[in-house]
Amino acid sequence: MSKSKTKFERRDFLKLGGAGLAASALSAGCATVAAERKPQAPVVQASAPEPAAKTAGPPRRILGRTGLEVPVVSMGVMNADNPNLVRAALDGGVFLLDTAHVYQDGRNEEMLGTILPGRKRDSFVLCTKVLLSTLDRKTGLFAPETRGEEIEEKLAISLKRLGLDHVDILYLHCQSQRESVLLEPVLRGLEKVKKAGMTRFVGVSTHKNEPEVLRAAVEAKLYDVVLSSYNFRQDHHLEVQKAIGEASAAGLGVVAMKTQAGVFWDKEKTNPINMKSALRWALRDPNVHTAIPGFTTLEQLQSDLEVLHSPALSPEDKLSLEEPQKVAGLYCQGCEQCLTPCAEHLPIPELMRSYMYGHAYRNREAAQSLLLALDLPPSPCTDCLTCPVVCAKGFDVRERIRDIVRLRDVPRKFII
Amino acid sequence: MTMTFTLSVLLLAVSTSATKAPETKAPATTKPRAPGASVVMSSWFPQVEGWKVSAAPTQYTPDNLFEYIDGGADAFLQFDFEELLTASYVNAQRVEVTVDLYHHRDAARAFGMYTQERPAGSTPVPVGIEGYAGSDHLEFVAGPVYVKLAQAGGKETPFLRMFADNIAARLPGTREAPAVLKCFPDRGKRPRAEKLTARDFLGHAFLHDAAVVPYQIDGAKVRLFAIEGKDESDARTMVQRYSAAAKSPAAPIEKAGSAALKDPLNGEVMLRWDGRWLWGAVDQPTLRPQALQALQVLLDSLGKNLRSGRP
Repeated sequence: MSKSKTKFERRDFLKLGGAGLAASALSAGCATVAAERKPQAPVVQASAPEPAAKTAGPPRRILGRTGLEVPVVSMGVMNADNPNLVRAALDGGVFLLDTAHVYQDGRNEEMLGTILPGRKRDSFVLCTKVLLSTLDRKTGLFAPETRGEEIEEKLAISLKRLGLDHVDILYLHCQSQRESVLLEPVLRGLEKVKKAGMTRFVGVSTHKNEPEVLRAAVEAKLYDVVLSSYNFRQDHHLEVQKAIGEASAAGLGVVAMKTQAGVFWDKEKTNPINMKSALRWALRDPNVHTAIPGFTTLEQLQSDLEVLHSPALSPEDKLSLEEPQKVAGLYCQGCEQCLTPCAEHLPIPELMRSYMYGHAYRNREAAQSLLLALDLPPSPCTDCLTCPVVCAKGFDVRERIRDIVRLRDVPRKFII
Repeated sequence: MTMTFTLSVLLLAVSTSATKAPETKAPATTKPRAPGASVVMSSWFPQVEGWKVSAAPTQYTPDNLFEYIDGGADAFLQFDFEELLTASYVNAQRVEVTVDLYHHRDAARAFGMYTQERPAGSTPVPVGIEGYAGSDHLEFVAGPVYVKLAQAGGKETPFLRMFADNIAARLPGTREAPAVLKCFPDRGKRPRAEKLTARDFLGHAFLHDAAVVPYQIDGAKVRLFAIEGKDESDARTMVQRYSAAAKSPAAPIEKAGSAALKDPLNGEVMLRWDGRWLWGAVDQPTLRPQALQALQVLLDSLGKNLRSGRP
């Protein structure tokens, strides 16, 4: 089969499966600077409300001072190893692609390098990230010997892998501290690659301590874009939202990541979060210019295409994002029907409570305190060949006990 | 949550392990991990003469791996990552070696993640199941553990192989690559480019994990793949769903058969199945008759090997 035939059928599938979404996206899918080209699709300025639905193409927003018109839904390429899926995304109007120098040890950029050089350069926006070797990933601080030149060296490798002469956005990867974002050698290194034309714009990415990083990015007056974790399950999402607003007001483009909030409500991955609603939750914030969910299947791509065309958060979306009671997932109702069948006579309701502390509230200290207060055998749940306990709420009791009792072995002072 | 362990805890664990020889041929396991797994893992860090652990080992779990490797964590989670312990060693010349031990659910998952990152055609390093290296890094896989080593400073003296051998001697589990890879015929196979995928093969959620091997046939690049169903019924369900996705005319799926499917995402796919196995070829441009014949021979051979369970 010829490549052109394959492409046609992929589009055809998207039309059929995505209710014609791809067709309209194709006509609109092009990355240009707003000042250079009259927009074909409605463009949302920062802090403006979402335009009314039923427009000619999918809504776009302007990525801050870069002037790039971007689709509200973009693609985090990190998990995709199938170039055909990326092609389908591009054909469907998802034309901002996000990768990184370190993803799959460079194989992710190489995979994109099999696709992108054959496409018109202004038909996509390519973002990558460099992680400097002198970054202490525990503290988020750079070592004194940090060299700005490493940015250029790594970007040169990335460009070779991608088969491009420049990227659109280069992020300083994995930042969590103000002083790192403002470190002089790093700023000089970023400035140099931008001046050399190796990247059009520079940014910073953060998934921890985001408000501090976003404010430092504003303070630096060098960065054009910020890429930040932002989702409805973050305990501090209101702080992140505020900092995102400040960054947007200062003219920075704002890209949201980790919008899928862990994908599942529960650790056992039995109760999936509504991905469309979660994505719309991030996009309800007009200061978020685009989001970069990752996807690995055609079905997931279709789901994201639906959001691309209908990004407004509906009441149904809001309802679906109400946590099904940390609830059905992790809360033990204490009915004690588990106590009789357990051959080891374990205090199962208390163990379930410890599990909830550890996994729902992420309070490992409380989880461990409770464990240590219980009179438990050395290795609970290891001697029984089968577990006769049937939980009224359907918990996999043995699995949860095995998981949580590991905390007993960890010295208290090392639980952060 | 980040849990760190003191050097004393580490050394205690190391000395404990010294009295018990590490397993080297234990089969891969999918059983839940035992309590105290972190302490067991910490015994995999060697004591190396002339080197000190400069920072206490740090643990990362699926909940917080992204704090260490950011968006790269997603791929590890897809391959059922369970736990990472990382530590740094430093010598008198201030050369620093970072050791990352990624523990996956089983050996196949660890090997799969390793193949996602290994550069195609890289020179093999004979450590563990296998490894590859650059001037300042060395990666290898052994049993359920994917090990990543990095050296900062002292480039004139590579220390990583010494660390790798030392660590490999402590790791449990198999030293054999997954058997399915041996079923792929050698002729035309691109060296060290095979991959194991985890879920969503070819962008379809209904296709299970696959082994994928690139071939060069008559100048054309083609990928051969093999998928093992749980049983015959499971394999037939995959065929049925794939046929439906490709909008092939509905027909009963026999125990064994073949089909040319028009995959909406990947173009034409040659598919065969027998028993619990599916196998086939993807990424085929228009092959000349001779190349097509060669591809059929490869598929015959792959099917025969899969069915017999040996190459």
